[in-house]
Amino acid sequence: MMKGFTLKVAAAASVLLLSAIHANASNHREAPITALDHKADITDLYAFVSYGPDQAPNTPPSKVTIILCVDPLLDPANGPTFFPFDPDVRYEIKIDNDHDAEEDVVFQFRFKTEYRLPAVFTALAGFGDQGANAPGTGNLVVPPRINSFESLGLNQRQTYTAVMITGRRAIELENADGSPLFVVPGNAGPRTMDYEALFASGTYNLENGISVFAGTTDDPFWIDLGAAFDTANFRTLGSGVPGVLTASEDQAKQNFASDTVSGFAVNAIAIEVPIELLTSTGQVEPADSPAATIGIWGTTSRRQETVRRSPSPPRSSGPYRQVQRIGNPLINELIIGIGSKDRFSMDRPQRDSQFAEFFLDPPIVRIVEALYGGALNVPAAPRTDLLPLVNYAPPIAAPGTPAGPVADLLRLNTGVPATPPGAINRLGLLGGDPAGFPNGRRLEDDVVDIVLRAGVGGALAASFPEFNPDVNGRLGDGVNVNDADYRTQFPYLASCPEGRNRRHIDPGEPGGGPVD
Amino acid sequence: MRLVFLLTFLFASAAYSSGNDSANSPSPAQTKIARLEESIAKSPANARLYNQLALAFCSRARETADPVFYDRAGAALRKSLELEPSNFEAAKIHVWALLGKHEFQEARDEAERLRKRAPDDVLVYGYLVDANVELGDYKAAEEAAQWMLDLRPGNVPGLTRAAYLRELFGDLEGAIQFMSQAYERTPPQEREDLAWISTQLGHLYLSAGQVESAEQALQQALQHFPDYHYALGQLAKVRKAQTKFDEAVSLERRRYALAPHPENLYQLAEALMQAQRPEEARRLFATFEKQALAEMEKSDNSNRELIFHFARRNPRKALEIARWELKRRQDVYTLDAYAWALYCGGKRAEARRQMKEALAVGIKDPEVVKRATIINRGL
Repeated sequence: MMKGFTLKVAAAASVLLLSAIHANASNHREAPITALDHKADITDLYAFVSYGPDQAPNTPPSKVTIILCVDPLLDPANGPTFFPFDPDVRYEIKIDNDHDAEEDVVFQFRFKTEYRLPAVFTALAGFGDQGANAPGTGNLVVPPRINSFESLGLNQRQTYTAVMITGRRAIELENADGSPLFVVPGNAGPRTMDYEALFASGTYNLENGISVFAGTTDDPFWIDLGAAFDTANFRTLGSGVPGVLTASEDQAKQNFASDTVSGFAVNAIAIEVPIELLTSTGQVEPADSPAATIGIWGTTSRRQETVRRSPSPPRSSGPYRQVQRIGNPLINELIIGIGSKDRFSMDRPQRDSQFAEFFLDPPIVRIVEALYGGALNVPAAPRTDLLPLVNYAPPIAAPGTPAGPVADLLRLNTGVPATPPGAINRLGLLGGDPAGFPNGRRLEDDVVDIVLRAGVGGALAASFPEFNPDVNGRLGDGVNVNDADYRTQFPYLASCPEGRNRRHIDPGEPGGGPVD
Repeated sequence: MRLVFLLTFLFASAAYSSGNDSANSPSPAQTKIARLEESIAKSPANARLYNQLALAFCSRARETADPVFYDRAGAALRKSLELEPSNFEAAKIHVWALLGKHEFQEARDEAERLRKRAPDDVLVYGYLVDANVELGDYKAAEEAAQWMLDLRPGNVPGLTRAAYLRELFGDLEGAIQFMSQAYERTPPQEREDLAWISTQLGHLYLSAGQVESAEQALQQALQHFPDYHYALGQLAKVRKAQTKFDEAVSLERRRYALAPHPENLYQLAEALMQAQRPEEARRLFATFEKQALAEMEKSDNSNRELIFHFARRNPRKALEIARWELKRRQDVYTLDAYAWALYCGGKRAEARRQMKEALAVGIKDPEVVKRATIINRGL
């Protein structure tokens, strides 16, 4: 009998799933599973040597800033609950400092929500200095404008814990006075709140020289998302060739196409850490030291339901299970095949050799080649020139750094001094700026153009014979800058647009570039 | 062709359940086949239509218990792959057919290839669970089932497979929990699925000694799908537990009439023995022996029943069959049968060793545990 039972499992369950079809992926919602789980969906990871507004060139590095953005394309006007972090999700930033693609230092963030005025209809409410009273009774109906985390109108208030784990040691990162870490909420608008005041007081300088921030901010990413996902249907700008910029467009710090992410917000977790807490040697290493280069990735995890229950007490939901991860930008969106995106999201970077064929012969390259119908040559596979993205290798890591396994990590040489804000080149390493992507990633780095050019240009290594600097070297979506100004110190992120007045810049509008 | 019988009732009513090709009204699978063949005549280059035809032939195989339909399904898949060589759906249906034919090793290899091609496909992990469970690689089965639960939390095929693994690992309460969740998540129109899950619940409750709950679950199964033959078989076990042996015989007889497979005949003969009707039982055992021996070397066979059948009568033969089966698979039920054959053949130390290996998986199936006790006590 029992044998029969097994097969019944096989057969009946097969029937149930044979009709299953996969959802399609889209940017900011890379994998089918995360398309269903917004709160655990990571949009971007940034990591760079910290800089200040008056940064002098070649200042020796001292701290690194890492920013993990989750929960894509939040419209700041979208009340009443706005955008809390999910208390059931464990958000983590992981660092490999000995080149084996395993985490050596982990920063773990977890959130809690409280409702302070359960009867009030919205998470954020405020009016004037005194609030507003009911005309008949004089009872306070609308609380005063929110200007601190203690304001009553901050009805849905979140706090979080930040824990640093090194080996078996876990240290909770706390305010010196033990006061809680508050989450900066979304920006409903000027009547309701003084968002800037909350942003300032929600940026915490903790012990050990670490700073943290968590909250709803402007989405720092910028891209002509509509064109990119209309099968790379980029706009035709000055060059007359779709998706190819002229030299002057390439240099300009302005947009020639619409930033689809403009006016949208995201939930961001930012942390600034002294470099000596991150390196394997416990000190700031010079750029030519193998120990200077670290690998960074971000993850979101939820409790999993396990086949085996823990014996006592019996519980199904045991350990956490990774839902999503991110290392380099656009890897899951553009490189990993649709049939592998979930597995990629949920697996460990250390096991990325199973996806090596995607890295070394990215299907997107063939697609771009085909779309340009011969006007654009691409390097031949295997694309060993892309290895610095998935191994520890020059030009990011110092010569002599162990390559480690193929792993999607954002690699940062912590010994390379930050570029002063005014001198940052959006093309990063490709533009001759050694402190930019793919040496880490700054908010200002134009990863779309860089990835396009690295993908079809072989630009990370010596160029191939058919490389055309005016085509391969000028690929771009026409979006060169963010719609909002970044801050020039930690946490660097721009403020969340006001919900009441937010604006998404569309094609054909001023600043939105052409429709075609 | 066990699976063919197992799933005879997926889409079929009693009118054509016993392979009655001459029934006046066409079966659902026949209707589908006719419609698809018409469509294929109009669009002969459409690989998707051939995939659907292959599925319809698999359904027809279940309806008729005739393995020739698996061959036809295979031919349709070959055509589909000829039209679209990298056609993933065809490759998946092929694995399903391999499992249906009990070609577990080949199914596992093929499923592993598909997993590498599309690591996000939940059903491919399901095939890996099925094949590995049958082959006795529980670690690989558990890993694949865990991926199912992780990739799509709460998916019904993942829950049912995880429930089965929990049962094998000895966690009946956890198995009931998952199987109940699977029941709640199944849409009401999927009557056969609901009946199947209820039957599994009935089996689990019975294994846990909760006879009343088992009865309720099985009655529920029969409400979802009247005369559901899996449910009849389980209900017969409930009747035995209630010492209502005559009723058990009636249920087993009905089940065998609906799904005339040697395995079911064996259960009927066993029930007759318990009902003190040895003469008829002996006659049926003889028929069973003949039929089961004829398919002994096929991948789809009744060797487990055959081993128990011969263990007391002809231990040498039982051992020969057990060893043959053990070469193909090392799952707990094969180990259990092998240990029993060894024990009955006087090889008691080896019997105890094999049984220990089977029990190490964690299984608490009352019949296996009973044999283990005898084997251990017998030393």
